[in-house]
Amino acid sequence: MANSTVIGRTSFIRGRVTGDGDLEIAGRVEGDVAVSGEVLVDTSGLVAANISGSRIVVRGAVKGDLVAEEALVIESSARVVGDLRAPRIAIAQGGLVRGHVQTGNAGPARPRAAAAPARATVSETKARPVAAPAPAPTRTVTTVKAPPPPPAKTVAAPVKTNQHKPAPPASRQGPPPPVVPVLKKGTKAVQKKAR
Amino acid sequence: MASTVIGAGITIEGEVTTDEDVVVQGTVRGRLVAKDAVSVESGGAVEADITGGPVAVAGTVTGNINSSDRVDLQNGAKVIGNVKATRITIADGAQFKGNVDMDV
Repeated sequence: MANSTVIGRTSFIRGRVTGDGDLEIAGRVEGDVAVSGEVLVDTSGLVAANISGSRIVVRGAVKGDLVAEEALVIESSARVVGDLRAPRIAIAQGGLVRGHVQTGNAGPARPRAAAAPARATVSETKARPVAAPAPAPTRTVTTVKAPPPPPAKTVAAPVKTNQHKPAPPASRQGPPPPVVPVLKKGTKAVQKKAR
Repeated sequence: MASTVIGAGITIEGEVTTDEDVVVQGTVRGRLVAKDAVSVESGGAVEADITGGPVAVAGTVTGNINSSDRVDLQNGAKVIGNVKATRITIADGAQFKGNVDMDV
């Protein structure tokens, strides 16, 4: 631990932490952490960052992906939200983890496309947003308040609105119905005169 | 004793905020705000404005130093930037380019 770095309990770093040597985090870090040595997130540590190092030990809270060259240790007081990847991974009893866990010397990046169907066979399929129900098309009422009517065709407009208002519920799958313009007060007065 | 140490070989790009002592042996770029003592050791480099209590520099600082207490530029220090402090010492062998504001 010749050149070790300590982020104290009251310290807050927003940005990237990179370089050689060990790193102990007892404070808060937001950004990215990439060091060549060991990373220790202490019980008071709060990290919102992806962490990469040769060895990562977590006793605090981490939100981000953890990638270790050698080993990854999640201790009992740890809370981790993010993916874990290392040749060896230990999760102690009591350690909280939410994310993908991958051991071994696999490829550099997690094959996301291949991982999804394999996971579907496991009973622990948890709320993967594969087929999220498409939101119902917005009602025509909301579209009514759109651009003002073309001033020239004021006479034809009132007939058009009466015909179209019952129509929209029938057409479900098509594009939203045409915008029915709202008539201004001035234009209505003109129509009455026309009748 | 020092609670936050930025070791040699480590680079922090961004903002460092702390209520405790900071020792910089590596590199800090961005901003360094401490409530307590800041020490830039020999080999340490700070390319940032420093705000803190007592500031001791034996490394390189490029940026303004704003101290509520004293600033010591030690032998081997290289500082480019303005220094604002109640007391300041510049040791023999320290390089310094900038203004000094001692609040007189």
